[in-house]
Amino acid sequence: MMERMPGVRKNGYRKQVKEIYQFISDHLYFNRPDIEVKGERYNSSILFSLITALNKGKELIIGEPGLGKTTSVEFVCSLIYQFPLGVIWASEVSGHPEQTEEKIIGRPDLGKLNQGEEDVVWTNFTQIPVKIVDEINRLPETKQSMILDGVDRGNWEYLNEMIINDEYCLFATANYQDGGTNTIIAPLVDRFDAMVESRHPGPNLSFLIGKGKRKDHLLRHLKFEKDIHRILKSKTAYEKKMPRVEEVCNAFGEYVYEVLGVKPLQKHDRDQIRAEMETLDLDQDASAFARMLLAEFSFCERYGQKRVVENCEEGCHYTGYFCREIKNCASNRLPTSMKQYAQGLAWLLEDPEIDIEHMKSVIPYTLAHRVQWKDEILSQRERSKRDDPLPIFLAKEAVRVVSQRFREQSEHLKDALAVGSRIYQGESMEPLEGDHPLYAEIKKDVDGRPS
Amino acid sequence: MNLPSPRSPFTGSSRSRRMNPSSTDRKRVGLQRAALTTKNPFEEFKTFAFQKDDIPLDRIVRSTEEVMDHIRRGYEKLLEEEAKELVWMVQYNTIIKAYEVAEKYVKQIDYTAEDIEDFCFALENTQKIPYFIPGPAGVYISALSNYAKEDEIDLKLSELKTEINLVGFRLPKGKRLVIEGDTGDFTGIGMEGGELLVEGNAKNWTGAGMRSGRVSVKKNIGLHTGEWMMGGEIHVGGRVRGLGNIVEGKVFEKDKLVYPGKARYPNVYY
Repeated sequence: MMERMPGVRKNGYRKQVKEIYQFISDHLYFNRPDIEVKGERYNSSILFSLITALNKGKELIIGEPGLGKTTSVEFVCSLIYQFPLGVIWASEVSGHPEQTEEKIIGRPDLGKLNQGEEDVVWTNFTQIPVKIVDEINRLPETKQSMILDGVDRGNWEYLNEMIINDEYCLFATANYQDGGTNTIIAPLVDRFDAMVESRHPGPNLSFLIGKGKRKDHLLRHLKFEKDIHRILKSKTAYEKKMPRVEEVCNAFGEYVYEVLGVKPLQKHDRDQIRAEMETLDLDQDASAFARMLLAEFSFCERYGQKRVVENCEEGCHYTGYFCREIKNCASNRLPTSMKQYAQGLAWLLEDPEIDIEHMKSVIPYTLAHRVQWKDEILSQRERSKRDDPLPIFLAKEAVRVVSQRFREQSEHLKDALAVGSRIYQGESMEPLEGDHPLYAEIKKDVDGRPS
Repeated sequence: MNLPSPRSPFTGSSRSRRMNPSSTDRKRVGLQRAALTTKNPFEEFKTFAFQKDDIPLDRIVRSTEEVMDHIRRGYEKLLEEEAKELVWMVQYNTIIKAYEVAEKYVKQIDYTAEDIEDFCFALENTQKIPYFIPGPAGVYISALSNYAKEDEIDLKLSELKTEINLVGFRLPKGKRLVIEGDTGDFTGIGMEGGELLVEGNAKNWTGAGMRSGRVSVKKNIGLHTGEWMMGGEIHVGGRVRGLGNIVEGKVFEKDKLVYPGKARYPNVYY
């Protein structure tokens, strides 16, 4: 596979990450591969968790209780960030109705408060880069908003103090709707870059899991756990704590390498990987395809854009497109997530650019949780034969249909975008016409360009 | 290097302006300013080699249009030379002269039977052809048919409001011209061995002066049928309104030979 990408420097990080994937897949989280990209088969849950952890993403993992939603993420984070499992467990936020800001973010330092000083004791959750919220939809909707800012920007505020996470990733697990769950509020859902399902592995693997011993002990180390906990609890400034935590993490990483033969990533490695991912850009097909999809999920000829409060009119010319089937408008976070995960995948597959295959593979998972389908579409399709939960199934279908449309008119579409670029550069040309919302959007951009 | 004094709301406070910025700060400011520049949302396609789509259908449409332009120009030339007086008198000499002009242009054009049909349709349905005069149009269509590459030509004229005269003029041996719809006067005159099938009605002087070949009219035919015809056959599925002075040849009405025959006299109405 390394030979596939002659233009990219081979620095061993990909191999290291693939070994981590393989180790988790072979020893820690047994499941079937459920996604194929360029001939390589992966388990979407591990793959997306790896990319999330590597590329500072935010991922929502759904699934039935007991199917390894939290466990898979803990293993991935332990190996990518070199944290012993005990530290990760101690920093997890559990979603339950009685959860408070003090347990999630931080609390006043009571000792200092008695002396008339105001200081904040930050929780492990806010301090370490690995953030896991277990059963996020058991948090009442009002309390979900507490973690909005932190989730979005890595800023955590309590009293008048703030810490900013330079490096962080967030994983939240959610059960399907039942009596004890709430819905995740729309602005919070949109902040998740991707949604995957931790699936049942099938009876045979499930039996194997039940027959074997728990694997937690493999990634535990009591001494390092205590050391890290002590540093996190200390009163030193956050910026000074983290390098010390990193030192212990490095020691744990060496221990893991020695004992398990798999080498976790150090901070320097992660930074280097991110820098490499950052250099990967979309090729023209991937870009045009993404624009085409975004146009269908945001366009409304009659009202200027999709709005959740407005309904489609009968007899609209664009009836055959997805704008007709959805209620809400795609947010600006969607293209960011699409690119972020496609970058991660392209990097892992050693490709020199993000191409349409990477986009097609990641888009369903970045789109599924963000789309609000119309009720009639849901009732029509919920009984369709499928292998995915309904939101992911519908998103995959949408990507398939848009990619079919793209195949039919990619050249003309790219011509239209090229003409748009020329007009933007000052050439006197007419925007190209075509029967897709994107042509209308290009025309709008061209008409509204700065003079 | 001094930073220009900040004017936009995106620059720092007055206090920070007084401070001496480090080179890292300058670099950061430079990057931030670069990020503020107006972006071409189609930047990635700046290098895309824009080409006008060249899908097969476009090529076909383009070449068809080019051919139609040639055909149209030929017709216009014919009109310019032959119908300057706007009233086109049907005299045999006029027809021959017009045909010679038409022949000259038609020989230079590479066209197909479909192009002839398109031209017929364009005669009435586009603004590009200024005058639709049934006589010259018929001569021109006849020339196009006679010089077409195909041996069989099918022209759909049923949607035209005006019947075209002189269709099938000098249709040579080996050609088969099928007309869907009605034709005007002088259909199939001077035929030279071809086969003309009119799937509707034909008006007067059909088959006049024809030398050989066969004219079939599915419905009715007008007066002076076969005037001065020298050979060949005219078959009429409906009624023959009147026969002309026929020199030689045969006329059939509903498979029944009506010329030569006892009861037939020139232009007898029956």
